[in-house]
Amino acid sequence: MHAISKIIARHAGRDSVEVGEIVNVTPDYVMLNDRGAARASDLLGKMGGEKVHSPDQVVVVFDHHYPPIRQQDSVSQKKTREWIKQQGIAKFHAGEGIGHVLFPEKGYAFPGALIFGTDSHTVTNSALGCVATGLGHSDIASYLALGYNWLKVPEVIRFDLHGSFRPGVYAKDIALRIAQLYGEDAAPYLGVEFAGPLVATMPMAERLVLCNMVIDFGAKTGYIQPDETTARFMAERAPGRQWTAETTDSARDYGRIVDLNVSQIEPLVAVPHDLSTIRGASELGDVRIDEAIFGTCTGGRIDDFRVAAAIMRGKKLAPHTRMMINPGSRETYLKAMHEGLIDIMVEAGATIGVPGCGPCSGCHQGMLAPAENAITNASRNFKGRFGSPEAFAYVASSATVAASAIAGHIVSPAEAELRQGL
Amino acid sequence: MHFQGKAWVFGRNVNTDLIFPKMWFRPTYEPGEMASHLMVGIDEDFPNKVARGDLIVGGQNFGCGSSREEAAAAMKEAGIAAVVAPSFGRLFTRNAINVGLPIITSPRIDEEIQQGDQVEIDLSAGRLRNLRSGYETRLPPMAPESLKLIADGGIANYTRRVLEQRRAAKG
Repeated sequence: MHAISKIIARHAGRDSVEVGEIVNVTPDYVMLNDRGAARASDLLGKMGGEKVHSPDQVVVVFDHHYPPIRQQDSVSQKKTREWIKQQGIAKFHAGEGIGHVLFPEKGYAFPGALIFGTDSHTVTNSALGCVATGLGHSDIASYLALGYNWLKVPEVIRFDLHGSFRPGVYAKDIALRIAQLYGEDAAPYLGVEFAGPLVATMPMAERLVLCNMVIDFGAKTGYIQPDETTARFMAERAPGRQWTAETTDSARDYGRIVDLNVSQIEPLVAVPHDLSTIRGASELGDVRIDEAIFGTCTGGRIDDFRVAAAIMRGKKLAPHTRMMINPGSRETYLKAMHEGLIDIMVEAGATIGVPGCGPCSGCHQGMLAPAENAITNASRNFKGRFGSPEAFAYVASSATVAASAIAGHIVSPAEAELRQGL
Repeated sequence: MHFQGKAWVFGRNVNTDLIFPKMWFRPTYEPGEMASHLMVGIDEDFPNKVARGDLIVGGQNFGCGSSREEAAAAMKEAGIAAVVAPSFGRLFTRNAINVGLPIITSPRIDEEIQQGDQVEIDLSAGRLRNLRSGYETRLPPMAPESLKLIADGGIANYTRRVLEQRRAAKG
């Protein structure tokens, strides 16, 4: 069995499961964001459920519409606050950041865990060697009522990453390269494992970026075999947490194994309006940037701030370019302040917003006007994702976004450094 | 389960942001509200054109992206009899099953069905037929658990029933 199958089997109370089998599972934690909590509590009532079955397993995070800018959200958040109190749900985070950034940070995600969330990017957590996947609102409402949910055991595809990064290239560029090579449906319904010598050297932040993007290849969950890096991360984040690293029995437990040498990958950009059209950042110099959107569950961690601030230090945004930054979490915000990174970015002319999803999925300040171009370190460039459906969004790494915000047009961070003599 | 209806054909990689744009998100929905925004990211007039019993035919990776259940729920509410594509986004698949919307995978179906074709599907027999062209294909069997959820009318009915059983067991 693959480790993913073993994790699912354990949460189904079984010794083993087969790929393709549908089983009922009890997750360790279930994340409800503000929208998810409002919808799922409403649907729970409509399903005849009065009490939440396992309130200690439920984590409510206000990240999409917090603080609310529309009265309908204020009203719904007030209702949710009353609902969680009445249901005895104690794990509640409002304004502390994005669920998928908070889960690893606060130790809700751990090796061997099974995690559900009312959001497609729940897969991010799987970088810790757990199974993490998004569910719909009725799904979650049913879980709240019954304490379990159905899950199909996925086949697993493994990407073996090796080689070394060229200057200005990050995990995000690898994810975009996979989208370029294999399409937005590279891994439909599949588990995606990242392995190989390069992954072994990757810090947790870069692993989280890889696993965050697997949903955008169609996957059910990511997976990275827990190692020293994982153990150190857990010791720092959740020292008291008991966890089990499952292991995969044999190479026969994979549907497919793909070898990917990253040495030839250059800084990449997904051009509008989907992730399957990928170009080199250096080829897109004629794309004017009106707004750089920085943050989200893909690129809102402290590592992203360090990379961006190093590029932006002592520089100003291009006169026609604005930059909207939303830290992925309150902790990231504080760290970035203490390290002087926020100073660098604000002095460059950036606007800092609340920790949360920001303009991604059009929830907060920084909406685009028709015909405007944005570059973002988020994961999606879908039409209308950041405001006007007539706007254009380009997806790239944190480095490419920061370098392009300074240049005022898309630029490779490798070239930007050369030109500035760094 | 057997349906016949008019096909509305869409392309590859149609994401759920297009099927149900986030500007129409609400904490709760009035009856008919979700259906009134179905597919408006692609065709603003679609909710007025589509009729109960029609079918949606998508290209590869139909319903990819965001987990928004509204994409599938709006189709169910609009009376879409079934959605057919060569492949689907995972969350869309799951949401369709959970709201009781028949979701059918059929290779190259987007090449075999044109806008407005009358299509006949017999889910129990596992057969799909294009009444205009005569194209006929066998459908891969759905997991019995999924078929049962759809036949039940979705996960809400299933949950309601299990809760009732639990209450009855408690006496």
